Amino acid sequence: MDPTIEIKQRVDVVVVYKKHGDLASLCMPYKMRFRGQEIEFVELGLRHQTVAGKRMIHVFDMSDGVNDYRLEFDAETLTWTLVAMIEGNYVRD
Amino acid sequence: MYGINHENAQIIFCDLNSAFAMAEQQAHPSLRGRPIGITNRLSRHCCVIAASYEAKALGIKVGTRLDEALALCPDFVMLESDPPKYHHMYKQLARIMKSYSPNIKMKSIDEGIIDFHGTTEIVNNRPLEEIGFEIKQRMKQEVGSWMKVNIGIAPNRFLAKQAASWHKPDGLDRIDHRNLIDYYKSIELTDLTGIASHYEARLNAAGIFTPMDFLEASSDTLRRIVFRSVVGDDWYQRLRGYEVDDVKTKLGNVGRQWVLKKPSADDNFILPCFQYLCETTGKKLRYQGVDTRGILVWAHFRTGESWYVRRMFKTTFFTDADIYARALYLFNQRPKHMVIQSMGITCYQLTPSARNQISLLDEVNKDEWLTTAVDEINEQYGTFKIFSANALLGTQIVKQKIPFGGTKYFELLLKQA
Repeated sequence: MDPTIEIKQRVDVVVVYKKHGDLASLCMPYKMRFRGQEIEFVELGLRHQTVAGKRMIHVFDMSDGVNDYRLEFDAETLTWTLVAMIEGNYVRD
Repeated sequence: MYGINHENAQIIFCDLNSAFAMAEQQAHPSLRGRPIGITNRLSRHCCVIAASYEAKALGIKVGTRLDEALALCPDFVMLESDPPKYHHMYKQLARIMKSYSPNIKMKSIDEGIIDFHGTTEIVNNRPLEEIGFEIKQRMKQEVGSWMKVNIGIAPNRFLAKQAASWHKPDGLDRIDHRNLIDYYKSIELTDLTGIASHYEARLNAAGIFTPMDFLEASSDTLRRIVFRSVVGDDWYQRLRGYEVDDVKTKLGNVGRQWVLKKPSADDNFILPCFQYLCETTGKKLRYQGVDTRGILVWAHFRTGESWYVRRMFKTTFFTDADIYARALYLFNQRPKHMVIQSMGITCYQLTPSARNQISLLDEVNKDEWLTTAVDEINEQYGTFKIFSANALLGTQIVKQKIPFGGTKYFELLLKQA
């Protein structure tokens, strides 16, 4: 079934902005603090935009090598929200 | 011998196969290489609208129900669709394609055509295979490493699409006068885009059983016996690599349909949903900048029977209230004891909008201004922030599907996301 776990919590995020590089990774979260743990990202799955009315939301699908995280950055309120995650161990080998 | 077009191939067809599943696997590294499917709304009876290659290899395809998929593969993962993600893929593909030729046409959310006619010498003095490989590479670099594009190169759109489907996934093929016969000898009739079981039966009835038989048939046979219209002439040209599909389609009608999860005859349930269908149709009309004069409403019943009624009105209209009032008048003529399985509304006889013309009648102006004000608020805060109170239940139950066939309403859909 659907392994997505809904979180919807504001989180602290450290972001890296690059001067050069691929369009997809010029700006990407580096790590976040969630439930007392510091989670370092190793891969940007996908970055895309969406809207909430006319508010621009940047969606970052990140991976720490095991779990996948959907982070949303609200460009109007400048806040980061961890919207959902998929635990990597859900998918069995 | 067959009158095949000897022109150099100038069309590239790009096809993101299993696009939605691939987008989810790109976003979620933990799902890569796994059988996954996408559905519009997750439920016990939902079905797959897009399957990953890994799922397809297990026999899970579009239309497979979730319980069937889990029986085939207990580890099968089903995700709900995420239209903004797919729109992003679409925009990235279109952006990359546009960098090679100004003449591109997106055929749907996951495929498009680059026409190099008139540009090859000036813009891209390179073999199209080289450009094809570059497009694949750029999708991986600029969108994500999991992205795979099938590329087809041919003298016309039809053969380019055939070439893109030849070696999936991640294929790149050329079909032209040099290998066209060998290609036709290697495939079945239903491998041809546009030939499904219905057309296959027609062709079989005329003694045509293979693509080679199809190619050998005269235009007269195709026009008079098989297709009984100019469609036969088009197929005669299309099979030989001549372009007949570069045509602009006119907006003929606008509508919305819905399949009920639980078939019902209860007006308290059906009418709010019907009103919601009318309001989404109204939004589509205004988004396209057209007014309508004709309305058709229909229903399919659980018994397998169908019903419809249509009517042309004297004047054009476009407000949600006008559409619903007229549609409801027609919808109330249905056999009310019948249990509805699916229903829909279609507006036809569309004309460019005349709504900037102020009416002499204040009532008319008030209705139009109200519609404009509601549209503006919804534009600002998201579609269906304001809607008719009667449609409340409908907004909660009816879910927007992803438009596979076209992309003309995608921006509108995204505002709802």
